[in-house]
Amino acid sequence: METQYRGAVLGGLICQTFFGLVLVAIYRAMYAGKPQDMPLSNITTYVWLQQAFFRMLLSTDTDLLDRIRTGAIAYDLCRPLHLYGYYYSRVLAMKMTGSILRALPMLVIAALLPAGWGMCLPASVPALLAALAALILGMFCICALENVTMGLTMRTLDPRGVQALLNLLLMTFSGNILPLTLFPDSWQRAITLLPYAQMLDAPIRLYTGEYALGQAPAVMIIQLCWTVLLVAGGCLLWRANQKKMIVQGG
Amino acid sequence: MNTLRLYCRSMAMLIKSQLQYPLSFLMQTLAQLVMEGGELLAVILLIDRFDRVNQWGPGDLYFFFGLMSVSFYLTEIFGRGLTGNFPSMVRNGQLDTLMLRPRGILTQVLCSGADPRRIACIAVGTVSLIMGSRISAIAWSPLKVLMMAESIFFSFWLILGLFMVEAILTIHSVKSIELANTLTYGGRSACEYPSDIYPRPLRILFTVVAPFALVMHVPASIILDKPLFGWPVWTGFVTPLAGLVLFFIMYMLFRKALKFYRSTGS
Repeated sequence: METQYRGAVLGGLICQTFFGLVLVAIYRAMYAGKPQDMPLSNITTYVWLQQAFFRMLLSTDTDLLDRIRTGAIAYDLCRPLHLYGYYYSRVLAMKMTGSILRALPMLVIAALLPAGWGMCLPASVPALLAALAALILGMFCICALENVTMGLTMRTLDPRGVQALLNLLLMTFSGNILPLTLFPDSWQRAITLLPYAQMLDAPIRLYTGEYALGQAPAVMIIQLCWTVLLVAGGCLLWRANQKKMIVQGG
Repeated sequence: MNTLRLYCRSMAMLIKSQLQYPLSFLMQTLAQLVMEGGELLAVILLIDRFDRVNQWGPGDLYFFFGLMSVSFYLTEIFGRGLTGNFPSMVRNGQLDTLMLRPRGILTQVLCSGADPRRIACIAVGTVSLIMGSRISAIAWSPLKVLMMAESIFFSFWLILGLFMVEAILTIHSVKSIELANTLTYGGRSACEYPSDIYPRPLRILFTVVAPFALVMHVPASIILDKPLFGWPVWTGFVTPLAGLVLFFIMYMLFRKALKFYRSTGS
């Protein structure tokens, strides 16, 4: 689907490179005035990895939203499928293809940028492997969260207000607007435990070496816990919704 | 004058229609408030960690943020027709009907949409302006008030001009919105900070191509008594005119692009 609109992909890529460059320029200027304990290269790497996997955070199943609004979801209820499982795998596939197609070229661009602007290499090979594993877990986690959001959407007729609020939480606490590593240190202890930090922040910190390798198991246990909790919560929410669903339209 | 009256009347109508669903309107306005508040929070957190950028202290940075926020969202309230409705008008051929009517296309497009929810973002911007003015202890004088009003006024035309880039691109190709976003939304995010913190290529982009620096940063820096590039006070009144120049260039290109328009017709 994505490969059909090559022009749009290219446009999106240029747009994201530009945003990334602007962010890096801002952080560089700030670092020049007051260097921090954390090296600047960690921040630039953080920015580029966030830009690369941007699609993983913000892509919703618009098809499902339409079905909820028009009432076509009633057909899905007739199918001999586990509704939650069906839509979970759909959104997983969407996020995966979308983010891989965006991430690969973006990572190439970020690697080609001059030193101090682009992305640096992972802390070590095991760190890279740990980051990849954490990224996969993070993907499961974001899909579970997405389905909880959808479950809440099914309950309201005009989801735009609620969704905007939830998206703001997502963008802020996943480190997209501002790297979580730049939040006040006292906040970070709490924020890194939130489900939002499990999606991209945890893998990026493993990549840059912010989290030592020894911490990797603990990080992944937190990721796993949130994934299980969110899937369970989502399942219950969807089941409750199915019982009291009022289908729109005629 | 007649056009202006027509415009005011359709704005009133659009706002009235949006208020027909008061709860939904309230929720969405609240969402906008939180969203822009989040942006401001990011700036506050950055300042908390870094204190200052180059010669700009915390108050100065809040002031720049507020100026951008107020100008940008003011334009979004009134320019909604260009960004929201125009692309779909081109796609489904609705633009044909506008061409038959005895009024300018741009007037009609602007009359077709308004986004009053953005008032919440302007509120956040105003708070940021007041914060900046307090912390930087700006000594306000009538001249400075006039300069700020002028800056906001011409920023409106500048940003409307940039929205027209988007509209022009939609006529020429269907799927290039994201590219145009680079200039508008990218320009907004970047120029929330004074442009002299950027390396030369970006600085040139924001001075010559999308002159946010001339329209906003030069007058703002003079109001803050830290003139950008060391320019004298009178430049603060002259450089914002660049916004209007950009708008006229884009208006000409827009008219040219309309000649290129082939209806999708069906």
